[in-house]
Order: sequence, then C-alpha cells, then structure tokens
Amino acid sequence: MDRNQIKKWLESPGKMGHKYSLWAVYFCTGCGIIEIPPVITSRWDAERFGVLPAPSPRQANLFLITGYVSVKTLKAIIKTYEQMPEPKYTVGFGSCPINGGMYWDSYNTIKHLDKYIPIDGWIAGCMPRPEAIFIAVTHLWTLIDKGMAKGYVKYRENYGRYRENQEKALGKLEWPRLFPIKDENE
Amino acid sequence: MVTVMKILEIIVSPLVALIVGIFFLGLFRKMMARIQWRYGPPLIQPVIDLVRLFNQRGFSHGAVFDLGIILSLAGALVLVLFIPIGGMCPLANSGGLLVILYVMLFAPIGIALSGGEGANPNISIGISRKLILTLSYEVPFIFIILSLMSYYQTISIVEIVKAQAHYHWSLFSPLFLSGVAYFMILPAMLGIRPFDMASAPQEISSGIDVEYGGKYLAFSQIEHALSLFIVIALFVNLFLGGGNLPVFLLKMLAVFVCGVFIHASFPRFRIEQATKYLWFWPTIISFISLIVIQLIR
Repeated sequence: MDRNQIKKWLESPGKMGHKYSLWAVYFCTGCGIIEIPPVITSRWDAERFGVLPAPSPRQANLFLITGYVSVKTLKAIIKTYEQMPEPKYTVGFGSCPINGGMYWDSYNTIKHLDKYIPIDGWIAGCMPRPEAIFIAVTHLWTLIDKGMAKGYVKYRENYGRYRENQEKALGKLEWPRLFPIKDENE
Repeated sequence: MVTVMKILEIIVSPLVALIVGIFFLGLFRKMMARIQWRYGPPLIQPVIDLVRLFNQRGFSHGAVFDLGIILSLAGALVLVLFIPIGGMCPLANSGGLLVILYVMLFAPIGIALSGGEGANPNISIGISRKLILTLSYEVPFIFIILSLMSYYQTISIVEIVKAQAHYHWSLFSPLFLSGVAYFMILPAMLGIRPFDMASAPQEISSGIDVEYGGKYLAFSQIEHALSLFIVIALFVNLFLGGGNLPVFLLKMLAVFVCGVFIHASFPRFRIEQATKYLWFWPTIISFISLIVIQLIR
C-alpha cells in the first residue's frame, strides 16, 4: 500500500474496501470461464489484487459474465445479480455479451446483455487473455474511485425498463419485483 | 487498583485476541499463497475485507438469523476472558476448564440457530457437518481435559500454567500422550483442511456462511478469527507452558504455522471418515493417557 493512499483510506474507507476486496461470483456462464482458473491460481494469482472467487452471491461484489449468454442462462444471471448485496459491480467478459459476437444470429442467445442487467465495464476479445481481467480490475478501481461504477444505482432507478426487457426475453418471471417500479408517465 | 486492572484486562484481552486472530487469518492466506508459489494478498487483506463487508448491505432472514450470529460471537468473546493470555486472565477464578468445555459449544450452536433461519439446503448440510464434527472431537477433548485435571488436581488453567512454569511443560511429562492427542484433533477444532467439510466452498458453497453477506459475514469472520485464537491459546496454555505475552504469542505462532502446513498438505475428509478417525486414534491415545495418569497418581 502506498503512503499517499492513507488519506484516501481515512476519507472513505468503504470505497477503498470495495476497491481492494473484489470477490467474484463463481458462475460459469459460457466458454470464457476457461480463462478464470489460471487467473485465480498460481499462474496469474488474482488474490494479490484482492480478487477472490466467492462461494455464494451473498458474499460477492463483482460479477463476471464470462462468455455468451443463452436465454436459459440469462434467468440464472438475473437471479444471481439480484441476490448480490449492494454495492455490486458487473463486468462483461468477451465479445458475446457485448453484441452477440459469433452468436450474432443465434436464435437462443442474448445479443446485448446491458439491456437486462447494468454492466459497469466490458472486456472485448474472443477470448480475452487473462491479463485483460487485471486491466479490467484496475479500470474498475479507477471507476470506483471516481464514483462512476454506479450500475447498481442505475438498476434501482430504471428497474421498470430492465424488468420490461427481462420479461420480453424470458416471458413471465416467477419471482417478485426487487424494487417498486416508478410510473414512467408521471 | 485491583478492580481497575481487572476492568482493563477485560477490555484488553479480547482486543489482543481479535488482533492476533485477524493477523493469523492474513498470515494464513499469505502462507498458503507462498506454498502454492503465488505472491499472495497483502498481510492486511482480512482487514480490508472486513472494512468492505461492514460497508456492504447485508440481508437478514429474521430475528433468529441476527441473534444466532451475535450469540456465537458473544460466546467466543466470553471464552477469551477465561483463557490466560501471557499472565493476563480476567476471569481466572471462575470455573476454569469446566466453563471452557461448556462455552466452547456456544459458537456452533449459535451458528446453527442462525443458519436454521436462513433456510438454505447448503446451510443445513453445513450445520449438520459442523455439529457432527463437534461431537466427534469433543470425545477425545474431554478425555484430554480429564487427564489434565487429574494430573494437576485442579480445574484452573492459571494453576496449570503456573505448575508448568515450576516444573516442565505438560508435553514433556506423563501427559505426553494427551498432548499428542490434542495436536491430532487440533485441525478439527480449527476447522482447517482435513476437517474443513463444514465450510467447504467447492462442495456446499461455504456451508454455514452461504446466506451471510455484509456485516453478517464480517461477524462470522471475526468469530472464526477468535475461535482460531482460542483453540491455539488453549493448546499453548495447557501443553506448551504459557509464558509471558511475547513468548506466549511466539508459541502460538509456531503452533499456527504447523496448522497451516497441515492445511496445505491434506485433502478434505468426508464427514464419516472424519468421525471414524477422531473416534479412533485420538480417542484411544487420550484414553490410554487418562488410564496412565490415574495409575501414577
């Protein structure tokens, strides 16, 4: 830890805690998860940045969407995202969650993930190298520092829009609404 | 003056336990990283995690969910007061080993109460494993405590530490076999690798901790740090002769490093294998020790 960080720690311990203790959800959504084992084990060792795989979404604050998102996975992703406590950060990994990637004309994958849950940052590439995850983590630090990683606030404020998109993709959802929906017409 | 010192000790000794326990958690992660040829997190990473968890919103599942974790934390904090920490023991004259035997059960029971409210299948598996494991190591533990009490003819830990300071460590006395048995059940009491089935992250999503987020997980981690401290401090006091504060902490560090090596080199037992092991070798050894002590007294 740098000496010039002590002031930041004293000013906003919560923010610094979130920066240096990102626990990622163990959740394999697609082929990108194959890059995660080298990242968390001896080869690239994500733990030196404080990134640790958390065994349950309740304990986590970072959600890596690794790879393509099928309609069935989207349901699990939304459930997992809503179970995570706030503040929470999401990173889309690979080109498939960005715009469909090589599944751009597939009938059962989701093309734009940020229509369904808010995404704080993207890692482009097919596949991105494990180093790209560290670049993403350091970018996320900058975003948290500047107060720009506000995906969870966006989700709370525009929950009606997100829920509408989710119901369009999945049909009727069997779980209740997470937040009360504001009336758009007022 | 004596009262002021006593109040000061009641405040200081849980603080020492907390700092040492959290330092051990950090050292644990760093040492595991170095054993696996990684660089590892900074030593203060558990503190950063705790700061983060206290600033994160936690979900509650009801009043018992909140109270259970408080009960287990309170049990651990009370237990620290009964253990001499390098000559500092606030509640030395109130029960000694017998109280410790009872209060040690508070932590698993509190967590079981709290998890029962969580209504997650992983929690029920975790609780059942934790309680079975507790039941398994309590049998040799009671034999060990009985042989200690009958060898030194006292139930007070302070007296036992004093007796060791006059003669020699219990480990190098007729109690040698008891010490070996305590060291064999130490991983089960600490909940480290051959016996970490209650909190197995890969099988049952960390079992008892699965519904804890935010401050609940922070309390759970603090409780874990305190129980780490308590079990090792008890071993150092009963068998390695206590000592003044720096010596005491150095001995604790040595025992803890042995524990980390055990954690790094063993795979995980299944719960019935653990029970079979704990009710066989440690129980037999501690029972033989108890008989030997009864014969020579």
